[in-house]
Amino acid sequence: MVNHNIDKRHYTLRSGITIFPSQDEEIDQILTELTQKVPAQFILLVDVTGQVITARGTQHKADLVALGSLVAGDIAASQEIARLTGEYQDYQMVLREGQTMHTIIMAAGVHLALLIQISNDVPLGWGRMLIRQAAYQLVDILNKPVPETEQTAPPSALAEFESEDIPDLFNDALDELWS
Amino acid sequence: MFINWQLRELNLKIVYYGPALSGKTTNLEQIHTRVDPRRRGELVSLKTQEDRTLYFDFLQLELGKISGFLPKIHLYTVPGQSYYEASRKLVLRGADGVVFVADSTRSRIRDNLEAWNNMRDHLASLGIPPTTIPLVIQFNKQDVQGAIPAPALRQVLRVNGQPCFEAIAVNGQGVFETLKTIINSVVKNVQREVA
Repeated sequence: MVNHNIDKRHYTLRSGITIFPSQDEEIDQILTELTQKVPAQFILLVDVTGQVITARGTQHKADLVALGSLVAGDIAASQEIARLTGEYQDYQMVLREGQTMHTIIMAAGVHLALLIQISNDVPLGWGRMLIRQAAYQLVDILNKPVPETEQTAPPSALAEFESEDIPDLFNDALDELWS
Repeated sequence: MFINWQLRELNLKIVYYGPALSGKTTNLEQIHTRVDPRRRGELVSLKTQEDRTLYFDFLQLELGKISGFLPKIHLYTVPGQSYYEASRKLVLRGADGVVFVADSTRSRIRDNLEAWNNMRDHLASLGIPPTTIPLVIQFNKQDVQGAIPAPALRQVLRVNGQPCFEAIAVNGQGVFETLKTIINSVVKNVQREVA
């Protein structure tokens, strides 16, 4: 089980949305319920630029970061196809039927995308309904007002990055990287 | 840029842009080959049967802990063929920095210019002013017969102060310098935003 959730401070995703701790907890709850209800073998939540927000379930050998970039690419391509063919709708869903497992990729609003793997014993209609519900819930969470106490700015997010030494430290790290 | 506070990861996205066959994928392949496998992910390539980039290539680098953070660099390429116009814009979304890989072959001047203008248009349409995003230009294929020298290419593209490198990416020349410089530019940009 992997969980990349962040529990103490709010964080801003590359797509521009900020997730606050209370939202983070709710997201966690929704994905836990989804995993149990469907049941899902594996769930990956990313933002539309491919940033991994959280993953849970049976781990594959797959590189999660690489998978995140592909999910984002897949959903972006699917949305463009829908636009070009005049059939665009929010909450695009892409289904891949496998011999033992089905993979569903679904846009959750304009900021997030979900990848879910379910056994092919699970009726597809059931899986799709629950995944769609979860996607709606995820969007509701992001749209809900956040308690004021959470909205206070955290200590300068990247204060450590203001140091003049940082570029040199990066240069040293890069030199080490290259053989 | 994306920060994962729990893991203290700083994620940066750099996109290699340029005309078809200019060497964008070759840059990533060289980086993939030269970097210790423990410090990089898999090279993900979405290619056509003719081995041309269909959608994008992707490679993640991990720099190790710096000032308490774990910087992770996400490198993407765009498909260069004009046919894949729509995909290029999608890949540029969320970029923190761009490397423009130009082809120094004399007959490719127009392709370079088209790709350059196309990149600027896409950035602008994504709300990223092309003059503010960190940008590094690589003049690749300097080994081909009659290659256009870097100063002439700078003039053609009207490069305005951005760092430029001559390269022969296929044998690794100029690849690291380009990578190092774009990462530095992005880091300095992050510092400016934070200050």
